[in-house]
Amino acid sequence: MENIKGETKISSYQVILLIIIYRVIIAFTYMPIVNTPPGNQDIWITLLLSIPYTIILCWPILYLSSKFKDLTIIEYSEKILGKVIGKITGIYYTLFLLMFSIILVATLVEILDTTMFPETPTFVSTIIMLITCAYISYKGLEAIGRGAEVFVPFILVVILLFVVLSYKNYDFTVFLPILSDSTFKELNIGALDRSIKFSDIIILAMITPHLERKEELNKIFMKALIYSVFIVIILVIATQAVLGIEYAKHTSFPFFTFSRLVNLLDFIQRIDVLSVIALIIGNIGKIAGYLYFTTVAFTQTINKKTNRPYIIPITILVLIVTVSIKDRRSILSVGEELEKIILITSLITIFILPLVTTIVYFFRRKNL
Amino acid sequence: MTKKILFLNIIIIMSIFLTACWNAMELNALGITLVIGLDFEDDKVLLTAEIIEPVPAKEKASMKRGSIVTYVQGTGDNVFDAFRDITLKFDRKLYIAHNKVIIFGEEFARRASVTDLDLLVRDREQRETAYLLIAKGSKAYEVMGVASGLEEIPGNYILKLIENFKYNPKVIKVNLAEYLRYFYDRGQQPVLGVIEKREKLKINKIEKSNGGKEYELTVIGGAAFKREKLVGFLDGIETKAFNIIMGRAKSGIITFPTPNITDTNSGPTKPIESDIKSEGISNIRISTVDIINMKTKKDVEIIDGNIVLKVKVKLRGSLEEITGDIDISTKDNMLKVEEACSKEIKKRIEDTILKVQREFESDIFGFGSAFHRKYPKEWHKVKDNWNDIFSKSDFQVEIETNIIRTGLINTPIGKIKGR
Repeated sequence: MENIKGETKISSYQVILLIIIYRVIIAFTYMPIVNTPPGNQDIWITLLLSIPYTIILCWPILYLSSKFKDLTIIEYSEKILGKVIGKITGIYYTLFLLMFSIILVATLVEILDTTMFPETPTFVSTIIMLITCAYISYKGLEAIGRGAEVFVPFILVVILLFVVLSYKNYDFTVFLPILSDSTFKELNIGALDRSIKFSDIIILAMITPHLERKEELNKIFMKALIYSVFIVIILVIATQAVLGIEYAKHTSFPFFTFSRLVNLLDFIQRIDVLSVIALIIGNIGKIAGYLYFTTVAFTQTINKKTNRPYIIPITILVLIVTVSIKDRRSILSVGEELEKIILITSLITIFILPLVTTIVYFFRRKNL
Repeated sequence: MTKKILFLNIIIIMSIFLTACWNAMELNALGITLVIGLDFEDDKVLLTAEIIEPVPAKEKASMKRGSIVTYVQGTGDNVFDAFRDITLKFDRKLYIAHNKVIIFGEEFARRASVTDLDLLVRDREQRETAYLLIAKGSKAYEVMGVASGLEEIPGNYILKLIENFKYNPKVIKVNLAEYLRYFYDRGQQPVLGVIEKREKLKINKIEKSNGGKEYELTVIGGAAFKREKLVGFLDGIETKAFNIIMGRAKSGIITFPTPNITDTNSGPTKPIESDIKSEGISNIRISTVDIINMKTKKDVEIIDGNIVLKVKVKLRGSLEEITGDIDISTKDNMLKVEEACSKEIKKRIEDTILKVQREFESDIFGFGSAFHRKYPKEWHKVKDNWNDIFSKSDFQVEIETNIIRTGLINTPIGKIKGR
């Protein structure tokens, strides 16, 4: 039995890849950024602007993680906040990760059912996805990290391929005039919105004790942040340049629609299947990661040694919740509500709770 | 080890038996469409689809052209209803993922709104790369089924006609995604392609003496919209001017009247007086320049509170055909030819803009977008009635022609160069 503490090591490169893909896959799947304010040609500026905001918002979590290098966010929260409140925050983090796993599975199932398998029942596609994910997370962090080295470059190559192959469809005049249709306030709201939803930082805070070089934590964070923002900018610019600002907002899966339009010399066409494959792989990677960290968070909250026994029950829970949501309504058609839930829970997870923990830490520093 | 191998074998065997049960689409259960036509008939949607009949290659050789497709029609309250109506009459379910052309009857184009096309964008089957055409003056089903080219399938015949855009910019080549893009753009109104059926002159009367008329299709012209309302048609020459303004005419030809030059001694040597010199007055006084490279710049300027639309075209071409008595081996004459070419393009563009301003009152050229880019603050004041402002604006057209190639001969063939 693998012990979840300390023994498995994961390299900085693997962590960077993981966090990049966890972020990029959202833009790759349903690109919520095209609908956030200002919602016009200046979205790429919003993304750039979100970098400093993200750094500010993530500072408490990074600070604590670099102070407690051998503990995950669950463990040091409990240590700082005390047993009872610590347990409550632990449960909150677990639920947050669980919620994200469910949202991810539901979104993936939705895009699969819409684009490729309209007649497959929801529970079948969900089960197929979840069995794979549960298997990966059963194999542990090392498998996830090593897997990232294989599948992340593949996805990035697919993105690059589509961006290059669409060169004939681009109309970059849609990005003009720059910064004149959006107000300063809108840009900042959009940037803040993006940086709050950078909830994948929690994964970094869960991975910290397994890092090969723990002193590189801040470097990993910066690299992952900047690379992911730039890849998302490339995705957004390519999609908007091909579909136009408004049509991109109308599509549920902008990058998928974008890839459907690739037609080079009447020969390279209908390769959108490739983008769906990349999408499945990327999402499975992300779901497997979230599933794994959900179980780890749960185990650490209840002070158990190994997370393996909880993978299957939690997977079944995810399955039941996903199917019961998905069979009632489409999750992306209620996108606004979904975005609101993600916004609030993410704000609490990545900023408010760590900030409170940091403040308490400053007061109790001597006793710890 | 043996356990692992056994396990692996079980998985491999299972994967053979557990292949795609859902969504399996067998070729013999599908009706693959290439063209669909949409019309209104008694306030209901009438959908006509051209379906390929899969025929073995052996039989195909002996079949008549156009007979490897079959046509089905369905009516319904909306487009999907019309699609499913077909299943009551036709033994296969339509599969429109390979559909390449969508034709709207003129009545449909005038009465339908863009929301009626929702299905074609919402459903994953229809691809956004399908070309849109409007059947000018007829129903969509009337233009379908004509195969007058060498393509065996009428749908491919239409598709090839549209793709011949690269030889002749008198065509509008717009697909579903592009249409939507212009539809959402406030600074530019959509223009769609046009398809017309014309009677063909009988060439070989003995063979085809069955009394029936022969038809062919043409995709000349364009249909201008104001948002979702069809406001009028452009003819071939106007469409070419439109494509030049839009910067889409990357290839194709420009025809212009040959400049009249009373020829003096132009060559280094005197021409011989000879009766070989062409004395006949040619009926054709039109020359041709082939476009090698054409760049267009659209601009809008506010001069003393008035909006002026500006079009600048830079053409590099090769002289392909020159009729009339003109020696182009001198620089002066060459400049005159270039000037005549510029003048002609200018006239065509001005006529087209004037027609669009007066008759359509719809900014199909995208001057609004250019205005938005240049004067973002003013744009917000005028964007709601931009089309009115556009139709009252002045415009300036500047053309610069450079002829960089003159072909294999340097003197018109009707002239004698002399010693």
